[in-house]
Amino acid sequence: MNALPFLIIVPLFGAFSMPLIKLISEKVRDIWAVIISAVTLGVAADVFYTIWKTNKIIVYTLGDTTPLGKGVGFPIRIVWEVDLLGALIAVTIAFVSLLAIIYSLEYMRHDTGLDKYYTLILILELGMLGIVITGDIFNFYVFLEIMSIASYALVAFRNDTWEGIEAGIKYMFVGSLASSFILLGIALLYGQYGTLTMAYLSQYITREPTFVSKVALAFILGGLLFKSGAVPVHMWLADAHPAAPSSISAMLSGLVIKAGGVYAIARILFSIYSISLNIRTLGWIIIFFACLTLIVGNAMAVIQTDMKRLFAFSSVGQIGYILLGIGIGLAAYGTDIGQIALAGAIYHTVNHAIMKALLFLVAGAVLHEVGTKNLNELSGLARRMPLTSFAFLVGAAAIIGMPPLNGFASKWLLYESSALYNPFLAAVAVVGTAFCTAAYIRVLFTFFGKESEKVKAAKDPGKAMIIPMIILILAIIIMGLLPWQINESIMIPTAKMLEESGKYVLAVLGG
Amino acid sequence: MIPFQFVTAFLLIFMGIYAFLYKRNLIKLILALNIIDCGIHLLLISLGYRLENGVLPTAPIYTGYETLKGTPMVGPIPQALVLTSIVIGVCVLALAMALTINAYRHYGSLDINKLRRLRG
Amino acid sequence: MENDMGLIVKTMARATIPLIGIFGAYVISHGHLTPGGGFQGGATVAGAGILFLVVFGLNEAKKRYDKNLYSALEGLGGLAFLGAAMLGLSIAFFYNILWRDKIAFAGQPGTLLSAGYLPIMNLAVGLKVFTGLVSAMMAIALFRRWKK
Repeated sequence: MNALPFLIIVPLFGAFSMPLIKLISEKVRDIWAVIISAVTLGVAADVFYTIWKTNKIIVYTLGDTTPLGKGVGFPIRIVWEVDLLGALIAVTIAFVSLLAIIYSLEYMRHDTGLDKYYTLILILELGMLGIVITGDIFNFYVFLEIMSIASYALVAFRNDTWEGIEAGIKYMFVGSLASSFILLGIALLYGQYGTLTMAYLSQYITREPTFVSKVALAFILGGLLFKSGAVPVHMWLADAHPAAPSSISAMLSGLVIKAGGVYAIARILFSIYSISLNIRTLGWIIIFFACLTLIVGNAMAVIQTDMKRLFAFSSVGQIGYILLGIGIGLAAYGTDIGQIALAGAIYHTVNHAIMKALLFLVAGAVLHEVGTKNLNELSGLARRMPLTSFAFLVGAAAIIGMPPLNGFASKWLLYESSALYNPFLAAVAVVGTAFCTAAYIRVLFTFFGKESEKVKAAKDPGKAMIIPMIILILAIIIMGLLPWQINESIMIPTAKMLEESGKYVLAVLGG
Repeated sequence: MIPFQFVTAFLLIFMGIYAFLYKRNLIKLILALNIIDCGIHLLLISLGYRLENGVLPTAPIYTGYETLKGTPMVGPIPQALVLTSIVIGVCVLALAMALTINAYRHYGSLDINKLRRLRG
Repeated sequence: MENDMGLIVKTMARATIPLIGIFGAYVISHGHLTPGGGFQGGATVAGAGILFLVVFGLNEAKKRYDKNLYSALEGLGGLAFLGAAMLGLSIAFFYNILWRDKIAFAGQPGTLLSAGYLPIMNLAVGLKVFTGLVSAMMAIALFRRWKK
């Protein structure tokens, strides 16, 4: 039997049963949340392994055995369609969510209403998993909204502080407007072609690319750039991610902007539109936004005094690298350069999810123990919190792209492909990294500087907060030791699979 | 024939976007979001009504379908989509209201320009 | 604090609240036959609850509202929906096995006991929407009180 539907069933079951489980006791509720997310990770790993082994796209139809209608040659049902990219992101989502939930066992202990917190966090995970497995564009919108609403509520979860509320309101208004744009685009596509299945839509668009389909693409792309925090519209991200509880920040920065932003952009561009458009122009549009994002995000990170805000701006910058990879992959479609760039983008998506989750967990530990995230008051933390500081050191080195760690390989792929495609882009990417290095070196000097009054009483946090960090450090180091093996065996096939939109169409329509 | 329903739908969407950009009161912003959604819903629902041989289709009500046999029916998918979208809209509305009440408690004002304490 | 309405409104509400509830129940249970369904019917029943809140005041409503019970019922509604969707999991998620294999709710199309899992799902969704909307409304209504 296929394991794919359990990717949705398990978190949904966990979320719905949480109000009942809570009635037993608080301890059981916490353990239940961990069990559910661990099982989800298992299912995601199984799905990924199946697809990686067989190198075939899984198509799952809701409600029947075949997506095609009775006696007609086109799909009439909702289909889920998972290729290697979707499965890879799903594994990352399940992995980081599990660690965030373990982390919040201790981090959120003093808050009230935790059953709602765990329900929301499971629903957030469910929404992201749904986005990466769906093959129906309206289903995609529904999962996007599930994810967005859960994340608005989680950003504003601590409603007794003004930061959470203000950030939540800004995030909600911007996010809802972006969702409306995406829905408008989907409505236009449906009006033009009369179908919602991505594969079938792709076939139609290839056959007759009308003006309306381009307008719809503009709306959808605009909405998704909003959601991924690209530069002209990144301000909500810098407010929302620092104000959320740190375990949520890790999920927002590590996963939400990937699943609901970058992944969706890649899916829409490569699987639905792909060859029907002038892909060079489109690629350069994405590259333009990517360069802007890369420079502005990393440069803004340098001047921050708030640690979590610095990390949030750094996320904006790293999104720029991923968009750069996607843009080059699109502009140089079909060549080796494009494939390398795409592999680099996918690799960086996974790497950044792990690194940024680690960094936000470190920030949460500091906030939990010292009570401030202002960098001017945190100097000399390394002596008091050695493990946390070591975790920060690893995360920062990885995000800059130091050779023995995982960030190096993905950044190298991006530099290499951009230098081969257009040297100017490589220069921009290196300048972005220089800013990024400056920002993190600054935090590093703070951590290892002279001890200040505030940090005298600080100590390393408890087990539930340390273990997720250690697991993430191990993941970073292990991925860093085998960079090219991972690239050869996972990332390149993923990029290849994403590029071949014909197979994506055929998997649903048969033939 | 001018497709009046599409004109109205886009008018609603642009009205909503105008209000979203130029109004400063949080409640009005929530209303603006709802107006945009209404416009999109109108657009979607009117996509189901397509003239077939000059006959307007009827709503797909199952009971009593014998009397309507042969007449074209409204596309059921847009209605399902709009229903889903309305449900999502209700969720966003409830959350927005709750956040607005919270904001009023913390800031004593509904002006979005006053919500400017996050800086950096 | 006085926050309920006058005698006329109360009498009218006593008469109409059961009717609204019955109409909502009708919309839920006929969701697979007529326009409407779980969400619409649930929202209608929740309308009755909100009318009660407005007419009889918050204190009276608080006495009849149990937070844990409502959130448990909401979870139960969701679980029932998920269970109905999982019935046909041996073939596909959301496969309507009750209808296709004529196990239950498999009467003539157009009658009440037909359409397989749809009536079950409508009931589950109706329960979830009703409890959820009433909970949300109560949370918003109670909020004003804390500020004073």
